[in-house]
Amino acid sequence: MDRRELLKIIAVLTGSAVIGSDLFLSGCTSGVKNDTGFTAANISLLDEIGETIIPAGKTPGAKAAQVGNFMKVMVTDCYTQEQQDAFVKGISSLEEAGKKMNSKSFMDCTPQQRHDLLVSLEKEAKEFNKTVEEKDKPQKEAFKQKERPYDFVASPRHYYTMMKQLTLLGFFTSKTGMTETLRHNAVPGKYDGAFPYVKGDKAWAE
Amino acid sequence: MADSTFDAIVVGSGISGGWAAKELCEKGLKVLLLERGGPYEHIKDYKTASKNLWEHEHRGNTTNEQKKKYPVIHRSWAASEVIMDAWANEADSPYTEIKPFIWWRSYRFGGRSVLWGRQSYRWSQMDFEANEKDGTAIPWPVNYNEIAPWYDHVEKFAGISGSIENIPHLPDGQFMPAMDLNLVEKDVAAKLKKQYNGQRHLIIGRVANITAPHDDRPGCQYRNRCWEGCPFGGYFSTQSSTYPAALKTGNLTVRPYAIVTEVLYDKEKKKATGVEILDSLDNKTYRYHSKIVFLCASTLNSAWILMRSATNIWPGGLGSSSGELGHNVMDHHYNLGASGEAEGFDDKYVYGRRPNGFYIPRFVNIGNDKRDYLRGFGYQGGASRSGWRRDVAELNIGIDLKDALSEPGNWRIGTSGFGEILPYHENKISLDKNRNDKWGLPVLAMDAALKENEFKMRKDIVTEMVAMLEAGGIKKITSWDNGHAMGHGIHEMGTARMGKDPKTSVLNKWNQVWDAPNVFVTDGAFMTSSACQNPSLTYMAFTARAANYAVEELKKQNL
Repeated sequence: MDRRELLKIIAVLTGSAVIGSDLFLSGCTSGVKNDTGFTAANISLLDEIGETIIPAGKTPGAKAAQVGNFMKVMVTDCYTQEQQDAFVKGISSLEEAGKKMNSKSFMDCTPQQRHDLLVSLEKEAKEFNKTVEEKDKPQKEAFKQKERPYDFVASPRHYYTMMKQLTLLGFFTSKTGMTETLRHNAVPGKYDGAFPYVKGDKAWAE
Repeated sequence: MADSTFDAIVVGSGISGGWAAKELCEKGLKVLLLERGGPYEHIKDYKTASKNLWEHEHRGNTTNEQKKKYPVIHRSWAASEVIMDAWANEADSPYTEIKPFIWWRSYRFGGRSVLWGRQSYRWSQMDFEANEKDGTAIPWPVNYNEIAPWYDHVEKFAGISGSIENIPHLPDGQFMPAMDLNLVEKDVAAKLKKQYNGQRHLIIGRVANITAPHDDRPGCQYRNRCWEGCPFGGYFSTQSSTYPAALKTGNLTVRPYAIVTEVLYDKEKKKATGVEILDSLDNKTYRYHSKIVFLCASTLNSAWILMRSATNIWPGGLGSSSGELGHNVMDHHYNLGASGEAEGFDDKYVYGRRPNGFYIPRFVNIGNDKRDYLRGFGYQGGASRSGWRRDVAELNIGIDLKDALSEPGNWRIGTSGFGEILPYHENKISLDKNRNDKWGLPVLAMDAALKENEFKMRKDIVTEMVAMLEAGGIKKITSWDNGHAMGHGIHEMGTARMGKDPKTSVLNKWNQVWDAPNVFVTDGAFMTSSACQNPSLTYMAFTARAANYAVEELKKQNL
């Protein structure tokens, strides 16, 4: 079961807007690095990675939503030390993987080359995350048995998974994402539980 | 404050304290309302209520700094950048966990009345007689008929929306028009009715959100952002409801930053004379005097105050002569349930964000239904179409992914059980004399856990829910049980239970401390059992009833 969906269901029950994804509930470790050392070049790169995942089309894409800067803020302020390290290291790993595949830096690749690289990373990440989850299982279960499931801190997922999740979060909660790609309605004023829907109609932003 | 003498002192400004203040003020008493936190003004202080999500730097997620400051709140779902300041500073006010305990506290005016889930259900005679019937703990000293008029009273004022259902063990109330179930929920409700011969009900939640203008409150706008505070007065809180009513009488004085450290007790008169407070800002102590004291400081904190009062007579504190003060800690266990997909409704969506879900009232251990455990549980849940957070496995990246996520996903339905926890004497809180808070006051130590009855019930909660979703035509069902630490349900109850006998209870049937009849405890501390319904409405009813009784007794010069 997708835990994010469950959180949303609970949010409905309690009338509260639970916005965080499970990624960020995973933990509070000590020793937080204040400066994760993101350079302007890093942010441009992350913008382009984001744009490859959520490109501009009929509506603006991830770059217009400034997901590169959003990733910097989130990784710096919200990620655990382990996650931060994995993310920062991931930036170079991605560049290396790109050079191996396309013989040039991500920024110099064509949109198609960028796309192909990320699709290959997507596969790699899936395998990687599966292994991590398996490895984490006994510890997770042990905390559950001790009635302290919240003390379990998940190992970092593949760096690409973090980038993708932050892209989706950063885009769909941005002003452009919420008002142009999705439908935003600050004060609905009523509830209709059988509202007509035609394929192609946009989803509500919240 | 020049004048330190009042007719009544109310400790705590949450749901119970707000009600006590309103009722006592309206009956002409001069009331001092004490709040340990700072002011939090209706509308003006709802700083985020009109902000858009994109205006929050972390889009609602909390930072490492916040995780460090609020570790307990981060154990569960209520940690949000948007409302983080609502929670009590855990470094200033720690507590000891002999066994895991999640204590959700909001130390500011209005307390948790601003944050609460607003689900509002009456108890029935079945709940009030349960202890007596199955021989658990002690019997309740009241029956449903005594409480029913007070449910009427508080529902009319608070504004509870709900549907008339004629379910004997979940009595109907004085409802405002009900919110709607959506079409998937209606479909599942109809299938359950058929499958279970009308013995199981899926109904719209009964919720303290007003569905029409009510007094000076415009009403619910279906934003589902209640816990940020509602600029429309859409739901019941101290701020939107009881406080303005109390203020209007001209009889109310509010004193913030007042940590009540003990109830002052006169040994000769066998009565309280007032309270002593520690000002959380200037660290000085002040004394206030009154004819009656209402403790509404929250279940655990009211017990804490009693434990520190009149210790020269009773070492365990005021109300400890029964040996039950701080014992019988209860909660509702949850964090388990099931969910799945509903097919065939793709031509429909929802409009608006309903701050409410559905409710499936208890059906076990009723009539001929018998289980291998006592009591029962209800479910709360909702159906909706999933949003952009869903996993679209077949689409990795690119414009196809963006297009897919810009549309709603499949309809999903999910529920969580809420189970009754029995009152066990061994489940207790006590003062930890080795550990102090920021103000040098001893903190509480929590020693409470679920037992066999609850564990058996948890298995059944999941099994029954999966069966009901199947009966409701739901596909791809998954279930979960993530365990339950005490307190997680935010329904802590029972530390100063009421009863018929001063030897086995802390309070009598009017919420009076047996050993000090002018001290009333009307928050969750008085609960003798927990039932499985959300308890706040019951606190409101008992508080209003106790306030009425207190004023009558004052008139008769009995207090």
